[in-house]
Amino acid sequence: MSSTDENRPPKSAYKLFKWFCDSRYFEELQGDLEEHFYRNRESLGHKKASSIYWKSVLGMIRPSVISQIKIKYPLNNSAMFRNYSLVALRSIARNKLFSFINIIGLAISMVVGLLAIAFITELYSYDAFHEKKDRIHRVIITQHEGDQEPAFYASVSPLLGRQLETDYTSFEKVVTIYRNLNGDVKKGDNTVSLNGFYATEDFFDVFTFPMIHGSPSSALSDPFSLVLTETSALKVFGKIDVVGEVISWNNQNQLKVTGVVKDPPRTSHMNFQAIASFGFLEKLNARNTGLMSWQNMWNSHVYILLPESGSTTNLQADLDKIAAQENPKLYNSSFEPELQSLTSIFPGRKLNNQLGARMELKNINYIVILAIIVLASAAFNYTNLSIARTLKRAKEVGVRKVVGAQRRQVFLQFIIEAVIVSLMALVIAYFLFQLVRPEFLSLNRDIQRTSTLELSAIHYLYFLLFSVGVGILSGFFPSVILSRLKPSAIVKGVSRLKSASGLSLRKLLVGIQFTLSIGFVLLVGLAGKQYDFALNYDLGFETENILNIYLQNNDVDLLSNSLAQLPEVETISKSSWVPSVGGIWTNRGKYIEGNDSTTVNLMNVNGAYISNLGHELLAGDIFTDGLDRTQIVVNEQLVKRFRMGEPIDALGKRVRLQGRNRTIVGVVRDFQHATLDNEVAPFAFLSEPNGYRLLNLKISSDDMAETMLKIEAAWSELDPVHEFQAFFYQDRIERAYASLSTSTKTLGLLAIIAIVISILGLLGMAVYTTESRIKELTIRKVLGATTSHLLRLLSRNFVIMFVVTSAVAVPLSLYAFKELIIPGMVHTINIGFWDLSRGLLIIFGLTAVIIGSQALKAARNNPVKNLRSE
Amino acid sequence: MKGTHLGEFQELVLLSIGVLYPEAYGVGIKEEIYAKTGRKVTLSTVHAALNRLEKKGLIKSELGEATKIRGGKRKRYLTITSYGIKMLSESRAQREQFWNAIPEIVFDVN
Repeated sequence: MSSTDENRPPKSAYKLFKWFCDSRYFEELQGDLEEHFYRNRESLGHKKASSIYWKSVLGMIRPSVISQIKIKYPLNNSAMFRNYSLVALRSIARNKLFSFINIIGLAISMVVGLLAIAFITELYSYDAFHEKKDRIHRVIITQHEGDQEPAFYASVSPLLGRQLETDYTSFEKVVTIYRNLNGDVKKGDNTVSLNGFYATEDFFDVFTFPMIHGSPSSALSDPFSLVLTETSALKVFGKIDVVGEVISWNNQNQLKVTGVVKDPPRTSHMNFQAIASFGFLEKLNARNTGLMSWQNMWNSHVYILLPESGSTTNLQADLDKIAAQENPKLYNSSFEPELQSLTSIFPGRKLNNQLGARMELKNINYIVILAIIVLASAAFNYTNLSIARTLKRAKEVGVRKVVGAQRRQVFLQFIIEAVIVSLMALVIAYFLFQLVRPEFLSLNRDIQRTSTLELSAIHYLYFLLFSVGVGILSGFFPSVILSRLKPSAIVKGVSRLKSASGLSLRKLLVGIQFTLSIGFVLLVGLAGKQYDFALNYDLGFETENILNIYLQNNDVDLLSNSLAQLPEVETISKSSWVPSVGGIWTNRGKYIEGNDSTTVNLMNVNGAYISNLGHELLAGDIFTDGLDRTQIVVNEQLVKRFRMGEPIDALGKRVRLQGRNRTIVGVVRDFQHATLDNEVAPFAFLSEPNGYRLLNLKISSDDMAETMLKIEAAWSELDPVHEFQAFFYQDRIERAYASLSTSTKTLGLLAIIAIVISILGLLGMAVYTTESRIKELTIRKVLGATTSHLLRLLSRNFVIMFVVTSAVAVPLSLYAFKELIIPGMVHTINIGFWDLSRGLLIIFGLTAVIIGSQALKAARNNPVKNLRSE
Repeated sequence: MKGTHLGEFQELVLLSIGVLYPEAYGVGIKEEIYAKTGRKVTLSTVHAALNRLEKKGLIKSELGEATKIRGGKRKRYLTITSYGIKMLSESRAQREQFWNAIPEIVFDVN
């Protein structure tokens, strides 16, 4: 009988049969089937025989034939799992050092994971309370101006909202919100200052801020209506059932309270104490046509509610239409509107002019990445030590396999062991988490404002899943390696397995850990140095003992005169804002004689400011109060930019700024007017009497607290309503570089974690190496090797590893420092030899101590002890 | 199958094994049954019956030689055990008893 394929029974049927047939019967039955086939083939032909063969195979699908493998294990597996857990616990208890290293290492790094989980779930719970959250979108715009980089704004002109409302239908509702509602609410003798925003009628229909009293849909329809939060109502009236009451607003208008809502939840990206009608804003701006102009996009936000099952396509087309119609009215610039869903606002992309709390998505990504790095590092420890100890567990695996365990059962066993270790670590991590929580919250003002890290049931579930996940990941490689062992190979001798125990993988993992530790240590050093550098940078003027006080619409001269009477106050000046801490104010400046123009940084001051803040005058007189509206003081950069020659030559030249020709009466030495991210640019001090917002007090006092009380008392006398707001210049500079300080603290924490983990790992490896080579070492010793010789032998590998990882870690961390920590920073520290070698020395020192102590212990051992028993 | 009772089909299979002695095996039995009774049975039915018979101890099996027509697979040859013979003859005796108890008149009527 020929055995070419076409003469044989159908292959697929054969395969199917082989798959389901019990191996005990396969040979006999397949033989029968085949014989039957050939007989049929002779009498009935190939086709018919094949089909009969198929039928016969399918007929074989019956309980007596089907392989029982799918239900071969009894359903009751609990005995097996109990055994796995028992063995795991025994093995954990027997190797106390290794278990300690694994559990502590995992616990420490898990803290970072737990923080990340708690933090991120909290951030993603923002705005989840709005019932229509999936249908609400916000209009954001991209501004293109000349050849400048595009700028992104969360705000858009109220005109857009108005036009949508009147001319378009591609949505259900639209709400325009205008920021900067603040005013003094007066009821009887009680005056309370409230903040919030103006909003159009449908606000409470679109957003879910439950109204306790009043009607949500009509609360904002009358221009002279005001909606209060529960807290504000209590502050003003002492009760919350206040609908219909009339209050005096800023002593100018009478507003009727039309609604009281619950306080906005902390997880709301918009926050308010009161909401007034948009109509009220229009009444206030009755003579100001600029309110509804297309370029007035600084304070207003437009939110749109889509119909159920509506798409954004039509809406976007309408927005584009409005933009195309309005953009030509702008000079040299255009706005490009875009929709952003409510759920992606917080956390979301970086936008200017946000309404309330902000959190960049980027930060969250960083946190996730850091958590993964740290966790991976700890998981490596587990993987490493477990693989290293493969040999010790090999016999156990061998016995299990001989008794009948399948590969996946052994695999499962070791995974379960890893999960148990990970769960133990979780318990410790949970307590550590409670310890670290306040530290984390105080890391940074954004975090403090946006999160509490309070845990709920869902968090515990996440923690548990997370921990099991970590266990599975860290146990995966060891389980693969251990379950792969063949009983025959184990029986032949454990020593032969050595080459198979993943030595290169282990080296790689330890290498990665080391790279991380070195990297973090270096980064902490560099970030800390940069932070110090920024704080102590010579700005070019004096900030020591300068107290800035917000005027809050009080009469500038009245306040200044009253404060000047205090003996501790040396000098007082007036200014519009605070330079060097992050803000900027620029405008176009035109050099009249030179017929040239450029962007000029501006600041409104009185003449006393220059000397009060210790600016060094290069040309011109010392100004007292003499600066008037037609005079300016400029910096060297401006002189240079307009090619006016020497500072002295610039005096008397005129520059057109803020719609007025102004004469240069002084030139100051260049100073760092913005944060260190920026180069020094042309700058001009001008003097507009109505433009002051701050008083700058130079104070000399032995008892600062006492002085502050005096100043506050003077303030309260003049303005009993508003809270005294003041800050020392130096504090504000610190705040301006808070992100650097946060980086330093975070990196510090991570460095400690990374070092602890890698040191633990190293300790484990060192113990293992010396233990597994103890016989070799003893024999060497007996044959005459000295202690130092043995030390060298044991530590050689680690030194090589240290050198290699340093070579990787140093360039990597330099790169990370430049790209992640100080991107765009213009003035940076010089990184010297010591900045790098200090970190390396720390790590090397720790390594040397760990390895050295283990090696020394092994080398000093009494040879008899180790050789006596075999 | 309940108890030691021998099913009708099982009895047929058992008898075929006896007829084919000493070379009774799956396909042979199937064809023997077809030849003698005209019943078309599938291999799996035969196999299931053989399985049960062997479990009851009525037959025993051993693997024979491999032949080319079977794709190199060996046959499982089946022989009746003495217990199987006993069961067969018991079953036969039972029937004989019934046969003998039927009055002659019954045959005449039909």
